[in-house]
This record gives sequence, C-alpha cells and structure tokens, in this order.
Amino acid sequence: MRRALRGFTPGAWVALAVVVVMLVMVVAPGLIAPGDPTAIAPREAFEPPSLAHPFGTDESGRDVWTRVVHGAVSSLGVGLQATVIGVALAMVLGFAAGLGPRWLDAGIARVVEVLYALPTMVLALLLVTVRGPGLAASVLAVGLATAPGYARILRSRVRGVATSGYVAAARLDGLAPARVLTRHIAPNALWPLVAVLTLGIGQAVVWVAGLSFLGLGALPPSPEWGAMLNAGRVYLTTAWWLTVGPGLAITVTAAALTALGRAFGRVGVA
Amino acid sequence: MSGSGVRAAAGWVLRTLGRALTVVVVTATVVFLALRLAGGDPVEAVLGGPGSQAGPEAVAAARAQYGLDLPLWQQYLVQLRNVLTLDLGDSYARRVPVSDLLTAQLPATAVLALTSLALAWVIALAVAVLATTARGRLGRAAARVLRGGELVASVLPHFWLGAVLIVVFASTLHWFPATSTPGSPASLVLPTVTLAVPLAGFLGQLVRDSLEEAESAPFATTARARGASPTRVLGRHTLRHAVLPAVSLSGWAFGSLLSGAVVVEVLFGRPGLGRLLVDATLVRDVPVVVGAVVVVALAYVVLTVVVEALELALDPRRRAGDALVAAA
Amino acid sequence: MRRPALLPLTATLASAALLLAACSGTAGDDASGAPDASGDAGAATPSAGGTLVYASGDAEPTCLDPHVGGNYPQALLASQFLEPLVGRDADGTITPWLATEWTTSDDGLTWDFTLAERTFTDGTAFDAEAVKANVEHLKDPATGSSTGYLALAKVDSVEVVDAQHARFHLSEPDAALLESLSQPWTAMESPTGIARGTDANCLAPVGTGPFVVTGSTPQQQVDLVRNDDYVRPDGTAEPALLDGITWRFLPDAATRYAALISGEVQVIDNPQPDTIAAADADSSLGVEHIDAPRPGSVNRIELNSGQAPFDDLAVREAFIRAADPEPGIETLFAGVTERSFSPLASVEPLAYSDPDLFTTDVEAANALLDQAGWTTRDADGVRTKDGNRLTVRMPVSTNQSVAAEQSLFEQIQANVAGVGFELVLEPMDLGAWYTALGNKEYEAVSAPYTKVGPDVLRILYHSDGTVPAPSGYFANHAFVRDAELDAWLDEAASTQDDDRRAELVQQAQQRVLEGFYILPLYDQQNHFLVRGATGVDVLHTVSTPTFVDASLTS
Repeated sequence: MRRALRGFTPGAWVALAVVVVMLVMVVAPGLIAPGDPTAIAPREAFEPPSLAHPFGTDESGRDVWTRVVHGAVSSLGVGLQATVIGVALAMVLGFAAGLGPRWLDAGIARVVEVLYALPTMVLALLLVTVRGPGLAASVLAVGLATAPGYARILRSRVRGVATSGYVAAARLDGLAPARVLTRHIAPNALWPLVAVLTLGIGQAVVWVAGLSFLGLGALPPSPEWGAMLNAGRVYLTTAWWLTVGPGLAITVTAAALTALGRAFGRVGVA
Repeated sequence: MSGSGVRAAAGWVLRTLGRALTVVVVTATVVFLALRLAGGDPVEAVLGGPGSQAGPEAVAAARAQYGLDLPLWQQYLVQLRNVLTLDLGDSYARRVPVSDLLTAQLPATAVLALTSLALAWVIALAVAVLATTARGRLGRAAARVLRGGELVASVLPHFWLGAVLIVVFASTLHWFPATSTPGSPASLVLPTVTLAVPLAGFLGQLVRDSLEEAESAPFATTARARGASPTRVLGRHTLRHAVLPAVSLSGWAFGSLLSGAVVVEVLFGRPGLGRLLVDATLVRDVPVVVGAVVVVALAYVVLTVVVEALELALDPRRRAGDALVAAA
Repeated sequence: MRRPALLPLTATLASAALLLAACSGTAGDDASGAPDASGDAGAATPSAGGTLVYASGDAEPTCLDPHVGGNYPQALLASQFLEPLVGRDADGTITPWLATEWTTSDDGLTWDFTLAERTFTDGTAFDAEAVKANVEHLKDPATGSSTGYLALAKVDSVEVVDAQHARFHLSEPDAALLESLSQPWTAMESPTGIARGTDANCLAPVGTGPFVVTGSTPQQQVDLVRNDDYVRPDGTAEPALLDGITWRFLPDAATRYAALISGEVQVIDNPQPDTIAAADADSSLGVEHIDAPRPGSVNRIELNSGQAPFDDLAVREAFIRAADPEPGIETLFAGVTERSFSPLASVEPLAYSDPDLFTTDVEAANALLDQAGWTTRDADGVRTKDGNRLTVRMPVSTNQSVAAEQSLFEQIQANVAGVGFELVLEPMDLGAWYTALGNKEYEAVSAPYTKVGPDVLRILYHSDGTVPAPSGYFANHAFVRDAELDAWLDEAASTQDDDRRAELVQQAQQRVLEGFYILPLYDQQNHFLVRGATGVDVLHTVSTPTFVDASLTS
C-alpha cells in the first residue's frame, strides 16, 4: 500500500481527499449538516443560495445542502451495491470461463454477449416492471449491465495467469488445484479489479442517477442525488440552483472515484 | 483460396450465425418473461391502454384477436416462432406490424447514435493528441485542464447535460432547436452533443492513456531516432496503437449510446427505438418490446463482428498471429 | 398483415452510415406557404394561413379514433377533426351542434334528435344512418370502446326515422345522455370511414370537423390540414384560418416550454406551474395563458375505506385533518390554481364545497387516532395498534401526476408523519399503477377522472363502482358503499326534473365529503400556453382546445 501511494500524482491526492470527505458524509452526515433532510417548509420554497442555505431551498422548502449531505449514504450505497453485484457475478463468470473447459468458456461468452446486448436502460426498465418501484431494480440493472465488462477482464487475466510459467511450476510441484487458484491465480487476476472497482462505483452512481430520469429511481422523500437532480431539472428555467448541489455531488464524487481508480490502475500496472 | 480457407470461412459464418441466434433467442425470452411476469394485462394495450373499462365481450374479442386467450407457454412459443421466422407480429396498441414500426424508428436512432459516436471519437482523439503533444509550461497546463475536462465529461448524466444545453442554446441563445423536426440537421445538434460528450470523456481517457504509453514505447523512440517527425510518428505508429483499447470497448460504447438514446429521445422528443421501448413497456405492448430488443441485440452482434474485423486491421501483431494460425 | 421484415431491418442496420448523408438531404416541406386564395372569409385577415405547431405532453394516441378505448390524448386530437351531436357552453348549458334540436318522451326512454345538414370530409352524408352506425360502432365489442361504451350504456338502439331525424331508444331514463353525447369519445365519424375496419380507421378517422387528418409519423407528429368545406355549429360555412396543424408529441415539460420560447412551436399543453407563473409575470415573453380546468371530478386523494386502517371514519378524518396541503398548493402551483373543497370540478355548476370539513387541526387528528386505538408509537414515530403500523400505501402514477403534484404528495407525507402516519409513496408506471389498484394494494390514491357533468359522482362513489370491469379496473377507489348514497345517485341519473337532480347531486356530494372519503386538492389542471398565435379557444365539454379561429401572428 505504501508503495502504491508513492505512485500517486497530486490529482490522485485531491481525489482521495474528496472520497474521504464523502465517506464522512456517509458515516456522520449530521457532523457536516445538522438539519433534517426531509423537514419541509413550503412557505420557504425556491429560495436562491444564501448563507443560511448554501445551495438554496427546493420546491418544498427543504435545505438542498442538508439533503445533498444526507443523500451521500444512499447515492454512494447504490453505486457500491451495483458494483458489488456486477463484480460478484463477473467473478463467477470470469473464473469459470478462464479455468473451465472449452464448452463452458463458450457458453459463458454467450451469456456475456447477451448481457452486453441488453443496454442498461432497457434492463432497468424491464426489472422495474417486474420488481416494482424503488432503487432495488436500478441497482440490479446497473450491476447486471456492468458484469460482462468485469467478466471479460477477469477471464483474460485468469487465462493469462493460469497458463503462465509460475502457475505451471506450482502445478508441477504438486500443489492442489484449489490452492493454485487461491494462492497464485486469484491474487494476480484480481489486482486489476481494484482499479476497475473504484472506477465502476463512480460510473454506477451516474447510471443510477440517469435512471431516475425515467422515474426508476429512489422512493420519495429520499435525498438520493439522482432523484434530486431530476426533480430539480424540471425547474431549471425558474430555479436553476436546485440542480447545482446534487449535480456537483454526482460529478465530483464520480470524477474523484474515477481518478482514484485510474491512479490505482497505474500503480497496479507499474 | 485453399480448401482449408473455405472451411475456415464457412466455420466462421456458422459460428457468427450461431452467436446471433443464441443472443436473439435468449433476449427475446428474457423480455417476454419479464413483461408477462410484471403487473398489467397486455390486452389493455389493445383497448386503449391500462385502466380500460371495456366490456367483457370487447376484452374477449381482443384476447382472441391477438392470441392472448392461449396458455402462456403457447403465447411464448408463438412469440418465439415469430422472432425466428423474421416476422415480429402486430403491435397490440398501434395495430400495425411491429416490423413496420421498427423500420420507421430505427433510422432515427441509428443516425443519432452514429453521429454521436463519430463526434465522440473526434473529440476524444483531438483532446488526446493535444494533451500528449503539448509542449512548454502553458501547453502542459492546458493539457492538465483538458484531462480534468475529460474526467468531468465522462461522469455527466445525459438528462442533466441535455436539459442545460436546451436552456442555454435553445431557450436563451436560440442557436439550435430543442426539438426534432423531420429533415432538419440543426435539430440533431443538441441531442448529438448530449450523447457524445460523456462518451468522448470516457474514450478520451482510454486513448490518452495508451497514447502516452505508446509514445514512450521503444518502437516510437526508434522511429524518432530514425528522424521521423513527431506528427509522422503519431500518424504512422502510436495513434493506431492507442485507439485499439477503445475500439475493443465498442460493445460497451454501443450499450452506453443506446441507453443514452432512451434518455435523449424522450428529453428532446425525438422519434426512435429508445422512446418506442419506453412507451411500449409502459403499456405492456409485448411484441413491440420483444421486437425492439431483438433488433438491438442483432445490431450488437453485427457491431461486434465489425469490431473484430477492425481490431484485426488495426493490430498488425494479431494479423501476423492469425496468419501463423492459418499457415499451421 | 404478417410479413417477414427482419431482412430490411438488418439491411438498414448495415447501411446505417448512408442514413447520415440522407438525413441532411431532405428539407421539411415548407407548410407555411401562401394563404389559400380561395378562402373568401379568411382573405380579409392578413395573418390567415400557415401551419400552427402544437406540442402535446400527453401520451401519443395509439389509435386516433376516440371510439377505440377513449382517453384524454385521443380527445385532444379528435376535437380537431370530429364533432359531437351536441356542445356545451361555459355555464354548462347543452347547445346544438350536429343535432339542432331534441325532444324527450315523458318516460325519458325515447329521445328524438333533428340533425343538421353536413357532409363528412370523405363525401359521405351525415344523416340518421350515420348516427345509428356510430352508436353501433361504439357498442360493438370488436371496437374495444371503453369511455364511449360506458357513456352510452343506457342507449339500446337508434332508429332511423328519416334522413334528418334519429330516434334513440333507452333501456332506462338517462339524465346525463346529452352530457355524454357532448364528449369527443362519442363524436360522429363517417360510416364509410368506420367500414374500412379498425386498423385503417385508427390511422385517419373521418369526421365533419374544421381539420382533416392527412398522415402521421409515429412518435413524432400527426398532420392535420384545413377542411375547406367546414360548416360551423351555427350553420355558416366558414373554414378555419390556418392551413393546417402539426400536432407533435414532446413528453418532457421543460423541453416543451423551451420549444415554445424559442419559437419552434406555438401552443403547448400541460405546462409546469412555475413556467405558467413566469409567463404570466413577464409580458415581454409574449406568452398567452389559457386556464381550462377539466370538467367532472376534482383532483383528490381517495382514501380506501374498504380495508384497514381507513375503514375507520376517525382514521380517515385524522389523515385529512393532518395533511395540510394548502401551503404547498400555493407555492408549488404558484397561484395558477386554487384549493378545492368539493368532489366536483369548479367548472361544474352543481359543484358543492364545504371548506370547514377540511381545516387543518393536528391536535384533533392526534385525538382521533388515540380514540381509534392507535395509541402506541414505534421507534420511527409511526403509530401502531395490535402490532400493526399505521401505514398508508399510495401508488403514484408517474405518467399522470406532474412534478408539482408529486412534490405536494411528499409534503403531505411529511405532514401526516407528524401525527404518526407512515405514508409510503410508490411511484410507478401506468400499467403497474392500475394493477396495484386492481389488486387493492393501496390505502390512498389520486386518480383523475374526466367526464362531462355531475354524473361522474355516480361512477366514482356508487357502490356499483366497486365491482371491477373485466380488466380489473374499478372507478370507486375510495370503496364507498352507502345504500342511501346509491339511491340518490341512481335517482339523479334518471330524473327528468332539473331541480330535483341539483338537490340530489348536492346531497350526494355532502355525503362524500362528510364521510372523509376524499381529500379534495384542486381542479384537474389543464393549461395551454400560446406564443406566436392568436384566437386559440377551448371547448367547454372536456376542455380541449379548438383552432377554428386561430391564426399565426409572426
């Protein structure tokens, strides 16, 4: 890890700082914004940014800043959950395809292809019609949609490591296949995933936000960023500031996670 | 061509057809099941949409007309047969053949997706080349700004970007129309930019990474040592190397573009496959949703085949490798 | 109709690149050409002619014939090319249209209509045979009519007395018959057009109206051109001023407003309240605002009295006393609408209001819930009784509730949480929403219902309305089952005495309000913004716009 951090550029340090602030928002939002994110005050609706309300107030008079801070849990949560679903599925598919027999590899290639062929938005639409409203369907859709990408990376890594000299040597030494897998193949094949994972969480946050446009997002009055951004979007001509808070939160978080992922990736390659 | 070459070509054609068939059958099945497991009765699509108060005779007549009185598994088989016999049946809601609907809607989405893809590549390549070749303090500072821009662009949600573009360029500056008019290239500008910018940010990062890598690779150094100009090195050697990873991700880009097209078509009120999918899903117009998804899946297969060919053309090593395999 | 078609599809895919070139080639045909020289009446107006662009936020009708199914988007379009037998003025008085006169028998079972002399735009004569064909078309199960079929439920048959006289035979007296016949869903179509079959008729129904459907591009627009031989309801032959209307579908409200401001379209419907207020406040934008609330029911939240916890009157009252929607209506709707205290729309002359029943009183709400046995609260502050939480599920149709309305529901959610209700808002698409209602998976719901006249009360609050249609749909979402109320509504529907009808309608509304079955919010919002055009008017039947006197100004 120490070696990893030495490879960080100044940009990566900024990204890391942003992610740490975001984590504080997740763990203790009350520290940064002590208010109640769902407390309404209809008579104070649509107030532009001021000292009392740095991001203004929304259509129900709620403080946008407080909502953005308290929304970090659900927004980053969905990104993380979606990525975990995607990576978990990818690990099953990737390892099976990389280590299994040819027919399994070919079969999994078809599964991956089908997942690729169904765009995220379409998948989400279908899942919502089956599972009903709420974030669960969006999380599942983004997870399923990102799985094939991870699976492909894993499969080629697993293949590469499995056929490499040192794994062959370990096998010749009489090491059990399970041990070869856990000892040699998995650690080497999984390292690039760390980078992809951080990248993926950022992208997943954006995807889930995009789904809220089609009404496939969080249930009200959850201050999830995508839902806030979409709710604010309809007032763009009359109250532009409603989208600034959640918009910044989404882009800054996703950009920081992406930058961090890329930094990890560079370090991993090096 | 030798006999083994013909056999190899025939094998490739068979494999590709098999791939297409699997993808089509599986996607059609998934969509059919999803829509039929979901709440809502497709017969209402025939009777003016959900919440119909039509009488029992009308409901029975509509069910009979569209085969919705059959057991579910028979309906599934009919749907599958329709897909496999290249006949997609009739839309419940619009009462026209699904194939007519799709042929009418496909061009709009194809044009939007392709112009966006082209624009995204132009932006990505331009930014990558500028950022890698920038010299001097000012140049390096500009490169840093471009890199940050790429990063931010890649995480912009389509619906927000589109909404901002509409407010700025349509309602305030009146430069471009916000909505689609048939045959008006100007009305394609804002939707294209909306789709292209996030994709450009993503492609740009990939291209720049591998371009920087290639520029410091031995073959580039050698070429420069032999006196080749930086432009020549870029054009002849490194750029070609740099676009490969991004080209390989075309499958991903395709899905991203189509998902984006769903949003952009609804937001800008454009006709197209994405908007058709949303509307048809709402009213459970099963043949339309299945048909549209099957077409998307087929397009994906066609695209991957094209990309594989492109990778072969771009990557001399693989070409050499394949030649070795063919020779063996 | 089946044909193999994936081949052309794949061909399109493969040659998609060519389309890039093609798209920039064809220019849209310039519809705003020279004014029609033959238009004698319109020639005096310099701005005559041109094509108006209308942008609709309502769903694109999948069938343009409003006899099939029968929803509001169909009514909007049908009002441009079809005409009903009778009209309705701003006071709710029925006026002559395609029928010039009518008489009723003493028992109310026979109605004689004298018909105006008109010709459908396909040359078919409008006569008693045509009226008979239309009624039969609406009642034919193969048509798949929903709204029109219900409206004419009591009409047994139509007898052709002679070409200009049609006689309706009813199974029972129907006080709402004329109101039913004034709606676009029962408007008159050419029998020749109907005979083409549903598929063809859906694409271009033929009527007697000021415009004619000439074509449509799915998900883009419907094209309408002027009917040069149009005869107005008063019998004068005077066509519309416009050459035609391009009827476009723009689902996003913000985009629609942007298109209006940038001059791409001249009329939009379903504008957001904040943009209406902005347009009203800033005259330099040059936007005209037409407020045309829909008739029939008001927008309200219905409380499902058929199951716990709202089977208890006290719990219903507690919810209504705590909801406090007024501050939200004032800010979210920015003064474009007013709070309602009636089951009926403000445009209904017989609407009855009782604001006193709806004063906000949190203390009273808490006391009511305590008395009803919901005395304990769990960790979330939600009241419980016998281990059950005081949960209210409210499915919200994201296709029917505009952004401001969904925000208002969120505010009500916060307000009722104060007295211990857990209001769960469940946004869902239209299909899932109707399924949730059909399965009674709701304790509260807001379902709009548009129908001309107070007969809508019978549909929404008569116990017959709790019996589902074959699709599972039932209109009485509040699950009101009150024998006395049923009797009043039945009598109101059949009485020939207008005063008696008014009295019964008021009694019924009072009963619905006092039972705390509904929380009235505001009229069903129906606004139009106009820019770059003038003379746009609204029909007083179901508040659809008419462009017969409209012209472009720029």
